[in-house]
Parts: sequence; structure tokens; C-alpha cells
Amino acid sequence: MTTPAIDTTALTRRFGNFTAVQDVNLRVEAGQFFGFLGPNGAGKSTTIKMLTGLLAPTSGTIHILGEDIKENSAEVKRQVGVVPEGMALFGRLTGEEYLRFVGRMYGLDRATTEQRTQELLEFMHLADERKKLITDYSHGMQKKLALAAAVIHGPRVLFLDEPFEGVDAVAAGTLKAMLQRMIARGATIFLTSHVLEIVERLCSHVAIIHRGQLVAQGSLAELQAGAGRRKRGDREEENAAESEQKRSLEEIFLEIVGTDREGNPAATRPEQELSWLS
Amino acid sequence: MAELEGGKQPSSPARNISARTQLVAVAWLRWRILVNSTFRRRSTGAGRAAGLATAILVRIVVWPILALMVIGPVAGSGFMAWAAIANNHPQRLASLLAGIMLLWLFVSVNGQNAAAALSSFDPSSLIRFPLRFGRYLILRTFIGLLTPSTIVGCMALAAAAIGIVVADAGLALPAFVVLAVYAWTNIFLMRMIGAWFERWLANRRFREIFTALMALSAVGFQFLNYERAPMHAYGGRASLILNLMRGSGAELGWSPPGFAAHAILERAHPFEAVLNLAALAATTALFAAVFAVRLHKQFLGEYLSDSPVVRAKAGAGHRKRPNSRPAGSVAASLPQRAVGPGFAPVVTACLHKEWLTLRGNGAQFVSMLTPLFFVVILNRTTFAGHSTYFLPGAIAYVVFGALAGLYNVFGADGLGVQIYLLAPIRLRDVIVAKNLMSLTLIAGEAGLAWALVSTLAPAPIAVAAQVSTGLWTIFVIAANLALGTVRSIQAPRRFVPGQAQRRRTTPTNRTSGLLILLVLFGSMALQVPVTLASRYLNEPWLGAWIFGPLAAAAVTAYGLLLRNAEQFIMAHRDVLGEELCRV
Repeated sequence: MTTPAIDTTALTRRFGNFTAVQDVNLRVEAGQFFGFLGPNGAGKSTTIKMLTGLLAPTSGTIHILGEDIKENSAEVKRQVGVVPEGMALFGRLTGEEYLRFVGRMYGLDRATTEQRTQELLEFMHLADERKKLITDYSHGMQKKLALAAAVIHGPRVLFLDEPFEGVDAVAAGTLKAMLQRMIARGATIFLTSHVLEIVERLCSHVAIIHRGQLVAQGSLAELQAGAGRRKRGDREEENAAESEQKRSLEEIFLEIVGTDREGNPAATRPEQELSWLS
Repeated sequence: MAELEGGKQPSSPARNISARTQLVAVAWLRWRILVNSTFRRRSTGAGRAAGLATAILVRIVVWPILALMVIGPVAGSGFMAWAAIANNHPQRLASLLAGIMLLWLFVSVNGQNAAAALSSFDPSSLIRFPLRFGRYLILRTFIGLLTPSTIVGCMALAAAAIGIVVADAGLALPAFVVLAVYAWTNIFLMRMIGAWFERWLANRRFREIFTALMALSAVGFQFLNYERAPMHAYGGRASLILNLMRGSGAELGWSPPGFAAHAILERAHPFEAVLNLAALAATTALFAAVFAVRLHKQFLGEYLSDSPVVRAKAGAGHRKRPNSRPAGSVAASLPQRAVGPGFAPVVTACLHKEWLTLRGNGAQFVSMLTPLFFVVILNRTTFAGHSTYFLPGAIAYVVFGALAGLYNVFGADGLGVQIYLLAPIRLRDVIVAKNLMSLTLIAGEAGLAWALVSTLAPAPIAVAAQVSTGLWTIFVIAANLALGTVRSIQAPRRFVPGQAQRRRTTPTNRTSGLLILLVLFGSMALQVPVTLASRYLNEPWLGAWIFGPLAAAAVTAYGLLLRNAEQFIMAHRDVLGEELCRV
């Protein structure tokens, strides 16, 4: 049995009286392109922060590539790359200076850092803006730079929090191709995105978190089958044929998390719509 | 599109990253941030030359002031240390060291508050890199050692050591050794306090409360200083600091300043000297340990724990659903030019929004009220009996900060300005609303200052002086209002006096920044030669004759500007979008 890339047990994080993440048991095998989904405020970013060693869990355990993050956070951080929610760039550096700094912080020697910096700037189409400060970059350029910084040390596990937000279509296509090549070379990618089409196209496995709890986990096929079973249980027999068809991730997602706290559908009913809108 | 190393597998970073590599990387990062913040400008050609000229001028003005702020405490420490030993008042040494600690603390805490507001490099962001806690602790200890507080504090201690040695050469070794340890005591004390402040300052409300407390303490200190040691006291002015130094040495015996002083002075009792040095070292270790405990919590990601709590609290309330209106009434909801008497709806809405913004901004209230306290203090002391001359000075002093707001009609809203560009409104109405709010505040402050000076004046202020001051005030406000509005449209990014060179800015902004400073200071300083000339020529109404036409011209200029504002804004609409709507 191989060591999973990410393995959590009863992962919980509380902030005072508020429980952001509760009893999350995640298992991501090495080499998987894993999508982590959930509505706004579900606990995705908190989970990623815990998985990347930026936030200590209140209880539970995290193992990344077999290493306990609590025992050896430095070693775990060395093996992972992160594009965090806020990108965490230093605005008063140029992109080139920033990549050099990150490379050195991850222990790359000067020559390797320099070589990879130049390659990444070229690859991300940032090479023409060498003198520009990061604070003057567009949002999309900052995203590309954050991604370049996340991979400069060749991480074995990559955590991406909304990596394609604000990135143009051409660059997004290039980045997706790069990520898929990383998967082909054995890396593991843990991705969150609100664009379910992207997750559906890139990811082989998906987990859904809702109000801090993991409500679904598995391969896309397993989720589709699970959703079909739920639908058969809920509705009349005549809907069964329809539910057997391959359902989109969006439909599955809405079915799983599209309810309010009382279990009613969260989508607005027609009579509740903003009737004054033309 | 380039390819990353063809199909090769990227090599992993070194398993054991040397401490030197990471320390050098962080030092280099700090250096590049400093260089880029100081020298890198986006402009070229004429804009660059104008920016450079502005930078040089600002430095000519600011650096000597900063140098004085450093030289003063340093020279004072050296002199007082010498005086304490040479005049055989060794107990004063502990008081001096306590004073240096307080100064260090004051500069450190205020510097941190300012840095938080300017959102500079956040060292806690380093936890995402593969660092062990020990290395993170070292980095956090050394990052920021070159802060104003450490520089001023260490130089003051070095000066004190030199002062002691000049007074008694036999104390050279203990003075330098003990004060070096005492410097580390202060460094770790400030770091310990700073680590707590870093967490608290992330909260806007705390920053506001803290600003208010600092302002109150500054006002209170000045008040006590004048009340307890009036200028006209026999034998010259004895400041509060000297008063404290006379009698507080004994009480400091069980504190770090006392340990340090006794470790230096107990030459006749070496055991006691060593014991005091050990106590000082133990205190230093205690501060370092508390700092380390705090940092360890940060290392585990404690900082990141704020937002979900806030979100949970924010989500706890229930919102009332607004009444819906049928689609047919959309046209009726568009802004009207006027609804009966009073302001247009857009002006009213903007005024309401400005009031809400002001109401939630405690720091602005503090910055408006603090000068009024100083007016009272100065009126009772330095300018007592000179109210005729102090009146314009007091008004200039209290409205100076508020006048800067006239240059930030749009800049203060930041990205929120987009709503003005997108909504079907006339931007002239927005300007009118914002100017009205600024005028109300400035007039209110000026009126209060006027009332305070008049009330506290021992004799009524001459009518001619009051008329002259009134016309001069109208001129200053109207001139700055007109120029501020033009500037806000032409170069709308936020202008902050004193920070013009540190912020990301364009050549137009920098050039206009210099112009603003000239107009701000120039229009106010005009009062000085006019007052002097009035006195020299014995012509009390001279000011009124000069400022009357100037005030009329400035008010007319502002009126003309408002009349043509819409065309002017449309001509600069692209600038507004480019300067303020960049994400």
C-alpha cells in the first residue's frame, strides 16, 4: 500500500466558539489531481492553511507524504508548494527578485534559482516586465507569479487556492497544461475553485466540504454514482432513468450543498425573486 | 510558450537548508524592498526629473528634522549621564536609563502603528517557507533591528556610556558592558511588546483606540509639563523629565534601569554589581522567553485565526429584506436633479455616506480634536497675552490637517470611486457633497479654535485683527478648496502630506504634490509678513485690505470651477479610472 500524499484524521479547527472545520478525514493518493469544493465560508481555505502548515489544527492529525506536519512542519513545507488565497507576494519587489528570494528560501543554489527564475518568467509571459514592481502587476500577472513561486522548488504536492481567478484564457490554458504535466510526472495537486467546469475537466478526484464537514469524497465517477443513488431514493421511479445518465459536477454539487440549514433548497424560489428586476 | 526544462523531472531542493542561506535571503529581501521603495519610480523623462526634484526637496526639509529628533535625545542622554556622575548624583542614572527605555518604547510602538497603517513587509508571512521555529525566532529577532527606535535607543545608550566615561574614566568597562546588555533588554522588551501589538494592530478598532491613547498621552504630557513647570518659573524652565530625575532613582532599584545603574555604579561592591548585572541578564532572558512563546503561537498560524471569527459574528445577525418594487418603477428610482428645497438626492446620498464614513473613523476624530487641546495649552502658556497674534496661528494649526482632505475628493474612496463613474450621476454633485462635508469640518474646527482663543484671551481681541483673520481664513480655505478640487480631478490618487514620496504615485501626482505643499504652506504663511507689516506700519486694517480681495478671488475661482466642473471631469475621466480603478 503506497503512502498517501495527503492524509488527515478527524481534522478540526475552532476559532473561539465557531467551528470552521470539523472531523475532516481526507485521503489524497500520490499523483492525484484533487479538487476540493465547497460554498463560500465552508472551510476550504482554513483546511488548506492547516494542510500547508500555516495554521495549527485544534485537533486531529495531518500527514503529508507520510510526514506528520506537527512533528516536522519544515520538511513538509519543503515538499509542498502553495498558491495561497491572498497570494502573499511582496509588492515592493520585481517578479524576478521575488522568484530569486523564494528559490533561496527553499534552499536552491544560486545557479538553479537563477535558471528556474528565467525559465518561469518566460513560461508565465512575465519576462517582458522585469523592471516592474509586483504592486504594479495586474491581478492575473500576480496570480501567474504566485504560481511560479509555488513551483520553483519542484514541489511534490501543490496546493492551489483559486489559481485561475483573474487569469486570461490563454495563460489559463498554459497553466492547466503545466499542471497536467506535473501530474504526469508524479506530483499531487490539491486545488480549490468555484469554477466547477475547471475542476471537472482537470481533477480525477473530488471532495466537497460544507459548513466545515466533509460531505462527499471520491472519484468523479463515484460521486456521479452516489448522486444517482440519492436521487433514486428521493424521487419517484420514473426519474430513475434520468438519474442514470452522467451528471455534471455542478448538478452533483448543488444537490449535495444546495440546501439551507433546515434542509430546504437554498436556491431562491420564484416568488422570492427580485421582482423589480427587468 | 516556453517549456519548463523540457520533460525533465525537477530536482528537489536541498534537504537541509542552511541557516545562512535563508538569513541572507531575508536580508536581501529587506534590502531590495528598501531600494525599490526609495529609488524605483515608474516615470521617465520630465516626470522623472520632477519626481527627483520633489524627492530632493522633501529630503532637504525632512531629514534635518529627523536628524534633530535623533540628535536631541542622544546628546541629552550623554549630557545627563555625564552630569549625574560628575555632579555626584548617581541615583539619577537609573532615572535616565528609565527615560531612555520609555523613549525607546514610545518610538517603537508608534513606528509599528505607522508601519501597520502603511502595510509594509509582514515578517510573519515567512512561516510559509520551510523554516524551523528556532530559525524563525532568529529571523524575527534580527528583522527590523534597524528601526528608528533601536537606532535612537542604542545611540542614546552609547552616548550615556560615553558621558559616564568622560565623567569617570574608571567606569568605562562596566558602563559599556552593562549598557550593551541593557540595550538587549530593551530590544527584547520592545520585541515582546511588538509581538503583541502586531496581533492587536491587525484590528482597525484597536488601531483607532491606540491612536487616541497616544494622542491623549501626548496632550496630557504637554499639559502636565506646562502646569507643573511653568516657563516663567524662577531659574528657568525645569521640565517634567528633570523633576522626575531628581527623586525617582530609589524607586527604580528593582527594575531593569535600576539593575543597570547599580551594576555600573557599585564599583566598591563588586558582588552587588555582578548580582545586579545577573538580574539584568535574567530580565533580558525573561523578555526574550516571553517573546519566543508569543512567536511560537504565531508560528503555528495564530494570526490566521481572525477572519473566520469575524465572519461568524457578522453572519449572526438577521437582515431585514427590503421591500420589493415592481419593475415598472425602475425609472422612478433614477436620481432626480432636485427634490424640492435642499440638496439634490445625489448630494444628500453622498453627504450621508461621508457622515457614515466619518462616524466609523475614530482616528479622524482624534486627529481633529487633538490640535484643539494644544491650542488651549499654548494659549495658556507660550502665547499667553498674545492672543491677537495667536488667533491666526491657532486656526492655521487646527485646520492644516483637515485641509489635506480637500485634495482627496476621490482618492480617499480608493476603488470605491468606481460607483461614481458607473452610476448615472453628475460627478459635480459628488464633489459638491464631499466639499460640503470637508467645509463643515474645517469651519467647525476653525470656529472652535477661534472661540477657545477668544475665551481664554485676557483682553478682547481687536476688531481689525479679527476681520483680518476671518478674511485670511476664507482665503486659505477657498484657495485650497479650489486647488484641491482641481488636483483631485487631475491626479486623483490619495495625497498624504509627508508620505508623498513613499507611496506608489505618478509624475503628475508627484508634481502636484509639491504644488500642494507650496500652496498649503504658502497660503498660511502669508499671514506672517502681513501681520508684521501691519505692526511695522501701525496699520491694523492692512490685513483686511490684503486678504479681502484675495478671499473674494479665491471664492470666485472656486465658483467658476464648480460651474465648469462637469466638463473638466469629463476631460479627465480616463485619469480617474486609470489612477483609482486599478486592482
